[in-house]
Amino acid sequence: MEKMIDLDEEDWLRQAKTILKKKFGYRQFRTGQQKIIQDVLNGRDVFAMMPTGSGKSLCYQIPGYMLNGTVLIVSPLLSLMEDQIKALRSAGEMHARALNGMMHARERVRVLRHLRDLRFLYISPEMLCRSDIREALAKIKISLFVVDEAHCVSQWGHEFRPDYLHLARIREQLGHPACLAVTATADERVREDIIRSLGLHKAAQTIMSVDRANIALVVREVSSDDEKMERLCTLLRSTRLPGIVYCASRDWTEKLAQLVHCKLGIRAAFYHGGMEALDRRKIQNQFLDNQLDLLCCTNAFGMGINKPDIRLVVHFHFPATMNAYLQEIGRVSRDGQQGLAVLYYSPQDNQYPEGFINSNFPEESFLRHIYYELDNGVLTIKNKDQFLNDLQERGSSETAARFIYERVREKPVHQSFQSIFKRSRSIIEQRRSVLLRDLLVMKNYLAATECRRTYYLNIYHESPGKKPVYCCDRCGISLADFDQANFDDTVIHREQLMNWKERLPYIFKEGDRSMQ
Amino acid sequence: MFSEALLLFLIRQFHGERTVSGIYHLLKGKQSSQSIQDSYLFGVKPFFHLCDDLERQSFQKLIERLHDCGWIQCVNSKQTTFIITEAGKNKLNKSGIEHTIPDGVKITNYVTTEGQFWLKLQLLIQTLSALRYHETAFLPITKQPPVTEAIRRIVLNRSLTRNELAHQLYQELCRLLTHIPRAEADLFAAQFSGYQMIGLTMKQIADESGKDLYECRMLFKSALRRLMADVSNNKSRYPLVASLISPAVSSLSNTAAVTLRLLRSGLSALETANHRNLSLSTIEDHLVEIALKEPTFDLSEYLAEELEQHIVERAHRLNTRRLKTIKNDLRENASYLQIRLALAKNTLR
Ligand SMILES: [Zn+2]
Repeated sequence: MEKMIDLDEEDWLRQAKTILKKKFGYRQFRTGQQKIIQDVLNGRDVFAMMPTGSGKSLCYQIPGYMLNGTVLIVSPLLSLMEDQIKALRSAGEMHARALNGMMHARERVRVLRHLRDLRFLYISPEMLCRSDIREALAKIKISLFVVDEAHCVSQWGHEFRPDYLHLARIREQLGHPACLAVTATADERVREDIIRSLGLHKAAQTIMSVDRANIALVVREVSSDDEKMERLCTLLRSTRLPGIVYCASRDWTEKLAQLVHCKLGIRAAFYHGGMEALDRRKIQNQFLDNQLDLLCCTNAFGMGINKPDIRLVVHFHFPATMNAYLQEIGRVSRDGQQGLAVLYYSPQDNQYPEGFINSNFPEESFLRHIYYELDNGVLTIKNKDQFLNDLQERGSSETAARFIYERVREKPVHQSFQSIFKRSRSIIEQRRSVLLRDLLVMKNYLAATECRRTYYLNIYHESPGKKPVYCCDRCGISLADFDQANFDDTVIHREQLMNWKERLPYIFKEGDRSMQ
Repeated sequence: MFSEALLLFLIRQFHGERTVSGIYHLLKGKQSSQSIQDSYLFGVKPFFHLCDDLERQSFQKLIERLHDCGWIQCVNSKQTTFIITEAGKNKLNKSGIEHTIPDGVKITNYVTTEGQFWLKLQLLIQTLSALRYHETAFLPITKQPPVTEAIRRIVLNRSLTRNELAHQLYQELCRLLTHIPRAEADLFAAQFSGYQMIGLTMKQIADESGKDLYECRMLFKSALRRLMADVSNNKSRYPLVASLISPAVSSLSNTAAVTLRLLRSGLSALETANHRNLSLSTIEDHLVEIALKEPTFDLSEYLAEELEQHIVERAHRLNTRRLKTIKNDLRENASYLQIRLALAKNTLR
């Protein structure tokens, strides 16, 4: 294997650590990072599974400073790109840009014109499929081809993206640079799929534990919603913040934010997908900037958010899969300090995940009716958006509408829609049973009488390591240990000025803030 | 409560001739010819685009509350159309809402561009604040490409340094806000984001100030429209803010403006529909909008003057603006399009 740079072990490690310290302000590599970086620098294809929040971006950013050329990062998430570029800018890196479909054409031209100067280029898979972009990229030296969220390449994964299937071919066209494929969660089947589909050659693999030892786990069964709210208030009255409360519905986020704000005087707000984009951004920024202590939200919040000092995640309703649960609690204490995850559940909560699973698929009679209308020309699929809209107006959920669209798109040309009904139904059954199995695993976690950590590590075929001091409610911990009083956080309380004559001078740094 | 009075007022104006969706689209400012036409027809122009952040669900809840209180009653079986009851009228009169509507909202010349202007203003403030505090990275309040491009151009293409630019914006804003009633100005500025001071959402402002959410929205739009008018009338006093206002093409929606251009070039309505790959009924919607907003465009091809008079007369005698009622009366003598055009041309002036 050709080495990409010619350094002996000592040298590269010293150099990498200097960059780590100087650029990113860390003194030590975290578990896994050092080996991955070493493999990358040795020019090997690398597969890495690292749980969210374990610092996967450093694994290609540090090599970016040691290799000649541009690091190309394929990522499907716009918010993630944006967040990464912001983080790099804060570290003083001005040669990082993105190319995605949401950009203004003029902006795109600017990026393409300066490709050669870039150290890091984030790109969405659909951009990479465009021939003009590929031609421009073929003219520069790509030092490393990073595939983020690599599980999207696998049809076994729940987030399969057809665009990802072209990545292996595109990598060839770009002169076959070494490839680093990273993902947060992938079982063995998905892992094999990734390595095969991306054409990784003798890949060096680093599989990191899904365990986050610095997060204590608590599950509390209650009998009613009222009791839940009471318990939540008691918890929030003393526990260290900032925190997030995940709810299953938009109504609940609003209700809880109101409750907490009125009853405890905590600076709380709600966040969900039904809000205007501008409002969502404001609330998100307020939370990141410590103008809020608590966010009550649906799972619409969190993707691509980088706030290392969140101390508490509460689940007011439990999610439908263990994967989702680990991802959501994984947002706690990314800075490595002690954090806490509390989950409340009552018997009636089962309706939420089951409802969520059902909303993914159309009902049988509804589907039959839609196929009937398609056969009779009442509905057409000429315009995708129009079709999705028509279905929703007939009472379908958005995800179910997309599901139907996928089915009718696959229909052979000379057959009737009615003829694919049976097959559609069996796909629904298949998918539903996978989701129900995942849900059962989640429910078993709630009911587990053994150590919670041991339980979920078992699911991922990991054996538990050394038990942390604050492990879980089954191993015995006291919530008092997470009391605000035990930590000397200095909370900045900036009043949110409603007086324009004070607000405006502050924003523009004009004169003395107290000036009238 | 303000929100209740506002909705009662609108329901009274619409007089059971539109479903509640019509009211929702009016407040939301839906860019359809129907909503725009309604805002003229029922004398509720200031309320168009007044609550562009309104959620369907909360609007529906409010309607249900009015119904439960007995202030409105249903006039169709589908529960979609309402009229105001006697109790509702009492409630409305006591609220005195007509006197509390701030003058600013009645300035409707800029309504098609106010959304974009507001985003640009917020992003420019946020950007200059970040520069002022030497913050190299911040999460912009919006990522809409036309908005970010416009701000980028302004920040880059100036002869002024960035500090000078920030100072100038500060001064222009101070002057502008001084001309606006204090309560409106405070509410307006509370939404600005800057360095370590993220703007409040409308909901947070309502909570903070103890005011009704709909009232806050109205005070905000009043401030915004006053400010846009002030800037447009005195461009030389506010050069920086003025550069954020897109030159007003016409108050037509963009799509109707395209149709008008084609019609002017000599295409018929049907040819325009084919050319644009739109349905004829969409082009007819545009015609109605054109009738409302471009009084100089000759529509006699679609509606003879004689017929127009006849329709207006019948509508007047029947005392309604409901298309179906008028159509039933006129039968084959007039098409729906002709009735809509006649009403559009004759209700405003
Ligand atoms: Zn344990």
